[in-house]
Amino acid sequence: MSPKSIALVDNPMDDMCPICKSTRYLNKGIKFLINPECYHRMCSTCVDRIFTAGPASCPVPLCGKTLRKRGFKPAFFADLGIEREVDIRKRVGQVFNRRQEEFETLLDYNDYLQDTEDLIFDLVNGMAKEKLQAEEKLKAYRAMNLQEIEDNKRAGLEEADYERRKETAEKEAARQRRLKLIREQEEGKMDVEKSRRDMLERLANTDEDPTAITRQAQKVILKKSSARRNLTDSSSDPNGGLPLDSSLSIRGLKKKVAPIAEEAYDPFGGINLTPTRYVLNDEYENEWLNGIKTDTRILAGGYSLPEYYARTMFEAFSGLGVFINDEVGPKAKPEVRIKKEVEIDDDVF
Amino acid sequence: MAVSPLVLPGAAEKGGPTAKSKLQSAAASSNGTPNAAQSSTEVNDVAEQMNEDEKAKYVKGKKLGEGTYANVYLGHISSSPSSLVAIKKIKVQQQYTEGMAPDAIRELKFLQELSHPNIISLISVFSSKDQNINLVLEFLPMGDLEMLIKDTSGVRYGMADIKAWMGMLSRAVWFCHENFVLHRDIKPNNLLIAADGEVKLADFGLARSFSDPYRLMTSTVITIWYRPPELLFGARQYSGAVDVWSVGLVFAELVIRVPYLQGINEVDQIAKLCMGVGTPTEENWPGVSKLPDYTVPAPPSPVMGIDHYLSMFGTVGQEGVDLLMKMLIMDPRRRITARQVLEHGWWSSDPRATKNEDLPKKGGGESKVAEDLGRRPGMVDDERAGKVARKLDFGGMR
Repeated sequence: MSPKSIALVDNPMDDMCPICKSTRYLNKGIKFLINPECYHRMCSTCVDRIFTAGPASCPVPLCGKTLRKRGFKPAFFADLGIEREVDIRKRVGQVFNRRQEEFETLLDYNDYLQDTEDLIFDLVNGMAKEKLQAEEKLKAYRAMNLQEIEDNKRAGLEEADYERRKETAEKEAARQRRLKLIREQEEGKMDVEKSRRDMLERLANTDEDPTAITRQAQKVILKKSSARRNLTDSSSDPNGGLPLDSSLSIRGLKKKVAPIAEEAYDPFGGINLTPTRYVLNDEYENEWLNGIKTDTRILAGGYSLPEYYARTMFEAFSGLGVFINDEVGPKAKPEVRIKKEVEIDDDVF
Repeated sequence: MAVSPLVLPGAAEKGGPTAKSKLQSAAASSNGTPNAAQSSTEVNDVAEQMNEDEKAKYVKGKKLGEGTYANVYLGHISSSPSSLVAIKKIKVQQQYTEGMAPDAIRELKFLQELSHPNIISLISVFSSKDQNINLVLEFLPMGDLEMLIKDTSGVRYGMADIKAWMGMLSRAVWFCHENFVLHRDIKPNNLLIAADGEVKLADFGLARSFSDPYRLMTSTVITIWYRPPELLFGARQYSGAVDVWSVGLVFAELVIRVPYLQGINEVDQIAKLCMGVGTPTEENWPGVSKLPDYTVPAPPSPVMGIDHYLSMFGTVGQEGVDLLMKMLIMDPRRRITARQVLEHGWWSSDPRATKNEDLPKKGGGESKVAEDLGRRPGMVDDERAGKVARKLDFGGMR
């Protein structure tokens, strides 16, 4: 609305159709349309009147361009010069749609942008000859790079699509979390309520020590809430929810454009330390170790028998399959064994 | 361990001078068989000669810094002045006049055996004339993780970077555990950064190998903020789970950029732990009350749920939070192991961990290297926590 009302103030001619001279004063719902062929403005009534029967020439004197009804659209900008430039930019941009990643250096990319800008200038402001040349150039370029243009177009669409999907996935995950939280809180409230009712009933119906009953009830409530928490902890399977990728966007991270040839991230760094010469069991019977299996104090400290099994087995098998001749022969280097020093007693420290 | 069936493929024939010098220094220190090339006249002389040879391979440069436990010098290999090394000269300590300081022994013993890209490598060892031990270590010029964490205005990083750092740390810890070594002092300023961005676990001054059954270990290890509940409660028999807890807290610190549980002493640390993670009780940790120093502040606070962690550490995504919670399970038997950490789904989820060369960095400078290497194991800088007595003196550098 605003551009029109401003235009009214600026120039009353803007509210009059140059063809039929009807004005907004007489026709409140007047709509102006343009055709990107010549950018001559006329009201929608005129367009209907002149072009419904088929293509006709522009009614503006000395224009004479053949226009079709299909080509007419409302102008977004009040200044039709701008409208035209924007249209041209859109058209050129669809053809010259290279991305920065395709260039080796920033300088190359800048040169490319400069060329594109020159072409646009010729199309917008150039004389007839320059315009014609620019059009030719555009056409030739399109013909030459048809495949790449298509690729870039698709990439652009995909990017936009990815952003949109990411946003919706994030929103959905947040919503799910909120819902879950609310549900849990309600359940918790109901639980506590129920325990309280039970306690009151017991207080009323039995003749046990009332303090004991209240204390016990308190405990039950605590236990229940912690149990529920454990339950939710285990149920919150990270794979269960929607994939929440890269919710963190602190730095302007570079987009990974080439998903090809990148190996999967190996958390182990390509090292496999699984014993190859023996199989490690989870459990070994040994009378000497029974003391540990039953001592809660040792167990509570986290002492891990599997770790001990792994080390003992490793030490038992160390050196097997190592042939000194193989190592000494070609290199003629003295084999130096690091003797296991007497263990330092850790206890003093 | 260096000659066992489980050694990494390629470890045996690893880079010429390094592997060789390691062997030779080992021979010198452990009265190994004399070199075949040398006529074995007197064992001592051969050992001394080898030590001299080893010493001559490195040129000690300017002093980078001084700590109570060691002095750190910049050095380089005599034959190539561009190959920098850090030489850590361990001071003779008053308490241990007879023989070497235990920290030095631990450091030597384990660094000599562990060869992994994410563990600082010990290039060589020699003794200088006053019977001081000199450790020749990899020179890691880019500072440590603590610097990056603390520089909240200068360094910005995201989930992919955290994943990359945590991946390297977890690999280092896993490798230690697979080789039956407990590090027992994991914290951000023991995680040094190499020039190529690789994070390396350093400072094995508190490390030890897995204990035998019934053998007691000390419970006063690991810098207090990163100390797991079982050690705070004085457990003397524990496992690799203690390191995993520290890793979890480093993870948390990477996210919130401030240590998650900052106690001023052990009692306070337990209180912080109860508030930040939950109160250990017989219910969530059977047998905990039997531990020697089990005391918890009065009303027990419930174990924190996933909502708490999501609100605080949500930037690493749901999978990341899941991993963090598993690392911070109080009962060491249920806590995730270093191997399981690496098998977690977070590593394969999006976004992919940042490549080393793209990781944010901050020029560390030599003084920081010295500070890191010369620090006493198990201590925080006094600037960070007012309680630690030992000061670093940089009088030597100007």
